[in-house]
Amino acid sequence: MPLYEGLGSGGEKTAVVIDLGQAFTKCGFAGETGPRCIIPSEIKKPDVSKPVKVVQYNINTEELYSYLKEFIHMLYFRHLLVNPRDRRVVIIESVLCPSHFRDTLTRVLFKHFEVPSVLFAPSHLMSLLTLGINSAMVLDCGYAESLVLPIYEGIPILSCWGSLPLGGKAIHKELELQLLEQCTVDTGLAKGQSLPSVMGSVPEDIVEDIKVRTCFVSDLQRGLKIQAAKFNIDGSAERPSPPPDVDYPLDGEKILHVVGPIRDSVVEILFEQDNEETSVATLILDSLVQCPIDTRKQLAENLVVIGGTAMLPGFLHRLMAEIRHLVEKPKYKEALATKTFRIHTPPAKSNCVAWLGGAIFGALQDILGSRSVSKEYYSQTGRIPDWCCLNNPPLEMMFDVGKAPPPLMKRAFSTEK
Amino acid sequence: MASLLQSERVLYLVRGEKELRAPLPQLYFCRYCSELRSLECVSHEVDSHYCPSCLENMPSAEAKLKKNRCANCFDCPCCMHTLSTRATSIPAPLPDDPAKTTMKKAYYLACGFCRWTSRDVGMADKSVASGGWQEPENPHTQRINKLVEYYQQLAQKEKIERDRKKLVRRRNYVPLAFSDKYGLGTRLQRQRPGAPISALAGLSVKEGEDQKEIKIEPADAVEEVEPLPEDYYTRPINLTEVTTLRQRLLQPDFQPICASQLYPRHKHLLIKRSLRCRKCEHNLSKPEFNPTSIKFKIQLVAVNYIPEVRIMSIPNLRYMKESQVLLTLTNPVENVTHVTLLECEEGDPDNINSTAKVAVPPKELILAGKDAAAEYDELAEPQDFQDDPDIIAFRKANKVGVFIKVTPQKEEGEVTVSFKMKHEFKNLTAPIRPNEESDHTSEVIWLTHHVELSLGPVLP
Repeated sequence: MPLYEGLGSGGEKTAVVIDLGQAFTKCGFAGETGPRCIIPSEIKKPDVSKPVKVVQYNINTEELYSYLKEFIHMLYFRHLLVNPRDRRVVIIESVLCPSHFRDTLTRVLFKHFEVPSVLFAPSHLMSLLTLGINSAMVLDCGYAESLVLPIYEGIPILSCWGSLPLGGKAIHKELELQLLEQCTVDTGLAKGQSLPSVMGSVPEDIVEDIKVRTCFVSDLQRGLKIQAAKFNIDGSAERPSPPPDVDYPLDGEKILHVVGPIRDSVVEILFEQDNEETSVATLILDSLVQCPIDTRKQLAENLVVIGGTAMLPGFLHRLMAEIRHLVEKPKYKEALATKTFRIHTPPAKSNCVAWLGGAIFGALQDILGSRSVSKEYYSQTGRIPDWCCLNNPPLEMMFDVGKAPPPLMKRAFSTEK
Repeated sequence: MASLLQSERVLYLVRGEKELRAPLPQLYFCRYCSELRSLECVSHEVDSHYCPSCLENMPSAEAKLKKNRCANCFDCPCCMHTLSTRATSIPAPLPDDPAKTTMKKAYYLACGFCRWTSRDVGMADKSVASGGWQEPENPHTQRINKLVEYYQQLAQKEKIERDRKKLVRRRNYVPLAFSDKYGLGTRLQRQRPGAPISALAGLSVKEGEDQKEIKIEPADAVEEVEPLPEDYYTRPINLTEVTTLRQRLLQPDFQPICASQLYPRHKHLLIKRSLRCRKCEHNLSKPEFNPTSIKFKIQLVAVNYIPEVRIMSIPNLRYMKESQVLLTLTNPVENVTHVTLLECEEGDPDNINSTAKVAVPPKELILAGKDAAAEYDELAEPQDFQDDPDIIAFRKANKVGVFIKVTPQKEEGEVTVSFKMKHEFKNLTAPIRPNEESDHTSEVIWLTHHVELSLGPVLP
């Protein structure tokens, strides 16, 4: 048997890489080119009809523990088909993940599944590993929020983070609102009935499917005209001609008529600057303004956009156009000298880039062990190191007893772990 | 039929990390620890892989190579049903004589549920029934492998340096307080101003250290992103040609938008699980290797070792009125078992759910052994146990019916009673310590279980 293993240097088994997002979870093995499965982060309870979301930050520990336990059990025994006890785990997380969630997840992994070690890797940093560069401005457009974090020479510039609740969830809400207001349904019995009369609310997976299949992001000129028509004060702005309607079958009998204007106007909420004048594009520029001056040129020429929401057709083109448009505004014109912006294309689809970075890191068996939290460390101290908690003993104290206390740079390390 | 038995009305307490109450058919019994175990307090392990459609066992090494996918079976990319191979005859020119044509068999994949065929995505018909279809390869594989090699090299360097530092440490006699003054040792000092700060802990190449490095080109950023085509805004969409999110996510490497790019994938395998007690590391459940067999090599389920309590009949329960409930006790083992029912004491920490008082029979009950041949043996003499008719309602083979008296203490709601069941257990496993005095290999121990019954609502 060992002849066929063909594994890395020590004959150690490949690590398991899990990216637990709020909408979807990507999981697979280290060293591979793509996740084995992308599944919704939900579990089905027998008595409840709707699936329960696993990644929730506001529920009590007991419930969260049982949800996570069931979900990870399903990941291991339905999709990965390996023993949890044999393989190290790399978890890709957002830097804004609450400590309570992290602690519960670690407890599930160590106490229930008895994994040998766990490494929490920040998603923004891992996406750089897929490109082979050291500095970039990384924007993660996910489900719950869009989070930007600049990384310079491998260190995340934590003070320059920025985040907005503009992601898949916001689009779904807006889309559901528009559908209920404007669209009609043909049922088996009657035609042209208003949607609220047939169903009170549209289930989120149907809204998501409508978004994925019919919506798109218009380019800058068209988008600005659509926004002007929406916030029409003088009534003079005219909306550009809408795209054609789509007949969306709800089930065997009902057909939902999605009117054309919804298809391109719903996504505009990502780029509309509301009262605070913030949008997904300003996130990048605001973060750039806060960054140290010497780093700005390099960061602006290395933009990386990851996350599922960035896969909407036309999103990247619009983002670049918006950034170039906003840089001319007085707010940024003085502050930013750099005017060139370049964007990378990672070797994977945007929703798997962070996972791929974790898989590349997980394949480095020489250092994966020393950078992870081992089962012994966890059983001795009872907690995992967190970048926001200053009273943690550094991991390397477990390995080198008697080593001098680390210099200031140590904090940079703990953000990567 | 399980709903007829209503097994979830009788719950046994499992003392694991967390206390759990579950019906006996869902529990396991570790006979080395002599304790009940539930699914939560055992560790699950992958035992064997098999394909759900062709039911072929796959050794784990092969499963790892094939990425947990069956070699022969395919899934329809539209509806996830299993694809079947269909054959047609097509005229094909003979190799020797191009003028004549002969009928050759060509195979294609088709889905019986949604009528998808492999011809829809442009896959050519193959001349062999199986083994002809290949999954497309990820175009980025080479780049990713190069990146992994590059970072592995850097990781190796870091490891060597770390190991070297461990040895070098002994020679560093300068105490920490002075190291700042004399500029030795610490990482901070070693960086010259102007040089890039290397803090992806050595994951950046130091200048001129190694001649034969693997260099990779860092990715190039582009100025312009391709915009949407002009007709995108006016083109009507045909929803049948656009893939749904679920169809896309089944192929994480490609995630195609058009249905014409949706290639089928090999079928994902399923596993058989084995369970292991966390305390003593013995197997509690180990299935057979053969995927078509439902038997187990090791099956330490609780119903084979612990007498099962079942509710047979419940009278009308009224507040503060004593009524008789008929229970049955079934003996799972082949020898005679003595069972004693005990009431829960005051202040028992396990007794949290009971809403009624219960009076259990005071005497020890004797249960006959399970005799598999009893139903066929009509001439067997019934064993005489001299049962007290107030306590024992009936006796049949290894089952006995027992009366208990229940007095509901609450006016409304569910009536729940709990009591302890003590029974003897002959431990047939080999003793850990060799027993010099006794020459028989089994020892009898007494086990006590906390049982809870839910008897339904109180009637007004």
